[in-house]
Amino acid sequence: MSSIPMIRQTAGKGAAKAAARRPNPRAGRPRNRGGAGDIRRPGPLTYGALGAVLLASLFPLYWSFLVGSHDSTALSRGIPLLPGGNFLANAAKVFDSIPFWKAMGNSILVSTVTSASVVIFSTLAGFAFAKLRFRGSKGLLVFVIATMAVPTQLGVVPLFIVMAKLGWTGSLWAVIIPGVVTAFGVFWMTQYLRDALPDELIEAVRMDGASMIQAFWYVGFPAARPAAAMLALFTFVATWTNFFWPFIVLDPSNPTLPVALQLLQAAHFVDYSVVLAGAVLATIPLLLLFIAAGRQLVSGIMQGAVKG
Amino acid sequence: MVDDEESSSKSVRRLAFSQRLSRWDVKVSPYLYISPFFLLFALTGLFPLLYTGWVSLHNWNLIGGQCKFIGLENFGFVLGQPYFWNAVGNTLSIFLLSSVPQVVLALLIAAVLDANLRAKTFWRMGVLVPFVVAPVAVGLIFNNLFADQFGLVNEFLGLLGLDPVRWHSDQLASHFAIATMVNFRWIGYNALIFLAAMQAIPRDVFEAATIDGAGRVRQFLSVTVPMLRPTVIFVAITSTIGGLQIFDEPRVFDQSGLGGADRQWQTLTMYIWELGWGQRNFGRASAVAWLLFLMIVLIALVNFLLTRRIANQGGRK
Amino acid sequence: MKFPRKLAALSASAACLTLALSGCGADAPKAAPSAETGKEPVTLTLATFNEFGYESLLKEYESLNPNVKIQHKKAATTNEARDNLTTRLAAGSGLSDIEAIEVDWLSELKQYPDQFVDLLDPAVEGRWLDWKTEAATTQDGHLIGYGTDSGPEAVCYNSALFKAAGLPTDRESVAQMLGTTWDSYFDAGKKFVAAKTGAAWFDSAGAIYQGMSNQLEKAYENEDGTVIAAENPAVKDVYTKVLNASTKDNLSAHLAQWSNDWVAGFQSQKFATTLCPGWMLGVIEGNATGVKGWDVANVFPGGGGNWGGSYLTVPAQGKHQAEAKKLAAWLTAPEQQIKAFTAKGTFPSQVKALDSEALLGQTNKFFNNAPTGKIFAERAKAVGATPFKGPKFFAINDAMQQALTRVDVDKKDDAESSWAKFLTAVKSL
Repeated sequence: MSSIPMIRQTAGKGAAKAAARRPNPRAGRPRNRGGAGDIRRPGPLTYGALGAVLLASLFPLYWSFLVGSHDSTALSRGIPLLPGGNFLANAAKVFDSIPFWKAMGNSILVSTVTSASVVIFSTLAGFAFAKLRFRGSKGLLVFVIATMAVPTQLGVVPLFIVMAKLGWTGSLWAVIIPGVVTAFGVFWMTQYLRDALPDELIEAVRMDGASMIQAFWYVGFPAARPAAAMLALFTFVATWTNFFWPFIVLDPSNPTLPVALQLLQAAHFVDYSVVLAGAVLATIPLLLLFIAAGRQLVSGIMQGAVKG
Repeated sequence: MVDDEESSSKSVRRLAFSQRLSRWDVKVSPYLYISPFFLLFALTGLFPLLYTGWVSLHNWNLIGGQCKFIGLENFGFVLGQPYFWNAVGNTLSIFLLSSVPQVVLALLIAAVLDANLRAKTFWRMGVLVPFVVAPVAVGLIFNNLFADQFGLVNEFLGLLGLDPVRWHSDQLASHFAIATMVNFRWIGYNALIFLAAMQAIPRDVFEAATIDGAGRVRQFLSVTVPMLRPTVIFVAITSTIGGLQIFDEPRVFDQSGLGGADRQWQTLTMYIWELGWGQRNFGRASAVAWLLFLMIVLIALVNFLLTRRIANQGGRK
Repeated sequence: MKFPRKLAALSASAACLTLALSGCGADAPKAAPSAETGKEPVTLTLATFNEFGYESLLKEYESLNPNVKIQHKKAATTNEARDNLTTRLAAGSGLSDIEAIEVDWLSELKQYPDQFVDLLDPAVEGRWLDWKTEAATTQDGHLIGYGTDSGPEAVCYNSALFKAAGLPTDRESVAQMLGTTWDSYFDAGKKFVAAKTGAAWFDSAGAIYQGMSNQLEKAYENEDGTVIAAENPAVKDVYTKVLNASTKDNLSAHLAQWSNDWVAGFQSQKFATTLCPGWMLGVIEGNATGVKGWDVANVFPGGGGNWGGSYLTVPAQGKHQAEAKKLAAWLTAPEQQIKAFTAKGTFPSQVKALDSEALLGQTNKFFNNAPTGKIFAERAKAVGATPFKGPKFFAINDAMQQALTRVDVDKKDDAESSWAKFLTAVKSL
């Protein structure tokens, strides 16, 4: 399509001017033709479809809350669709049986540090791969992607040996360090920066005498903001819900949340109402994050489209 | 005279120094910037990879650690096992049943989310909720849905007058159920990735397309999808690599975690787990892990070429 | 593709170094010379799983021995605890001073007695039932663990279903009717099924096989390690018997244990009896909430059976082996086990504990006020010799359970073709 050169122009510095120049979208256009650029609100059919999707997405969380608000007989006897009154009692049991708050603190620490470092290092590497020319960049990028193909089950024993030699078993470092930069993050930022960061911008700022790192900090990082925010969110959630490796390397006295929650299942007859109450409690911080970050993300994404 | 020459040569030298510094900056910085990843990978990725390669060439028990060098015997043995090929088939089947709908549905959902909705944050964050639901909850729910005798899905089918499906006995049915679990978790995630990319497409392009007379569907196929080409490739590659390593979902599908009495849904990573932690045969488990690694690289490559082709064709219309 | 060569060399040498230090025929950690337990402060770590009932006991020990502090690491489910133990044994570090293990893991761990301190001690001789200590002793007489609890089995039955089928419902008559052999148990089942109450006799072939095979002296392997599962007529015999009873005589409800359907089967009353160890009572009570009529009969086909039970081991990796051994011995003493039993219902395996008042007086309300303490104490004494379990026991048993499930639950194979698949699986081990 011939719009490609137009995109090159509109996604760069000129985009803001172009947006100002844009004519009134409603004027002079056939009524019933609408595309994605349509400011008109979508119809009931769209909302219906979306509603169905949301229902399926939210139902398991609601179901967990339902079971968590009944008692241990809930699962075997069939749960009514309305919540029972037992949630707070189950929550109290959760707090009593496992080091919930310590685990929550650990999870917050680990997830925050990991997502911050993943964003920084991935953007740095993505900046290099996407915009800088250096020998072997293509091959190294392929190598980065290939590293995602290493099955994790493979790595458990050797990684544990490494952690043991470093004396980090049982410490949160063993969980943070392996996650400090991910291939997914590097790949994601590379692919995003390729299109979202015009070369001209970098050249301009370099000609003004900026060093490489300054170019990155003043131009590259801001341009990557929407994708970086997305990456931070994904990494935070993935680290928060990660069970396997923390389980192997941490001790039950210093756990992250999923490891601590697993302790609720340590009995011959598992009281799933308590287990699911714990699961819901562990999800609440993430939901709060969604609400806080969601607004940021939405506006950030939109800005990225206009400012480039 | 001498002073002039000296001072001019001095200033030349100074210029050369800062120029050299800048050139050095340009040359070294890229390698510096990508080094954190590679350093970490050397520790947490390369070392395990090499270690496992080393182990796969030996007769190695997980606890005992006997070390008798047997070369490629583990590989030969594993390739001759019907259970290995069964696991390959299961992995590919579950992969196809989950990746294809994932990408397609994620695209569609992202397209809908891209529209000018009310309460955007709610809808957009809402689709990500499945990603945070605890695995124990997911396991419980889907086991309740897909139980062979008393599951909700079979009850529903009974209401419609259809025969119950044997989700835990029938091979393809089990793949379908597991693919549903996987899709449930990842569709919202991929939808948001597509959404971010879609939002980066300037609206002017759509204006132009509308003026050219293209309807919504046509715009989606001819404008959105081609512009999303890099993202589609990205999602295709990452979901391929992830999809061939599916482990958690099939593991919770039944109580023993082995993949069914006849290995109906045992994926390759589960087979690795069985060999390594079940039978304690670390050597054979490592051999399978290496074979899986090579398989993933191959299939991801094929997927990359395929997706590039398809996305290209869409643009040429 | 130019990978920084220096980095490659570095990692390769690191790998070689690590390999040389760990595994690969390296010496197992040496057991520390039996030091006296002095009065210097020491912190012991104790790793358990499920419910051992040790919480107040640990505080008691700390007050009795002020120089000792105990860190209790409660792991999660048995499977995860096993994976954790395996990884840390393989890595050569990270285990606690005392590690709890399940009886099922013994057959394998006994292959590596060097990893565990020999706990043999005249002070604890005769403390446990013979079959309990036998299971934890290697052929050289090396005692790997001190027994904690056990799982003697009886037969739990649904008296409401019995009544509907016109069979006796009180415990003594039921025990009489079920008889002491598997044949009499199956015959009672045939009578039950003939009355067409809509329910089956037992939950699955796998469950019954577990009870029957545990009474075989030598199931799958010889003492020297050769696998005899394929040729052993006893194994094929039990296999055929169980499947005949399940499918031909229709005694099975085709519900794999622990599956969703099995849990739902309790509510829908799909089967009338099940082989139950002491710890299963809580499970049945939870799954069958609201269902009236469950009771326990003081009988077990074939005499006696045991399912489950744990041990405390002292890994040779540990730094405080003498102190750990002392703590383990104290925790597994009859008096302490009774206290744990009162707290969490873990049934003792110590001889003296089986005669204690607290135990014998225990009843269970859900099971029609059955004197469960007395019943299981008698069942524990009735357990015969431990079957020999070699290193591949776990894996072969899994393959067998899968073979049974294919026929009984999945209904994908008939007995013959499933047996053929079992043989292939065994050969590949």
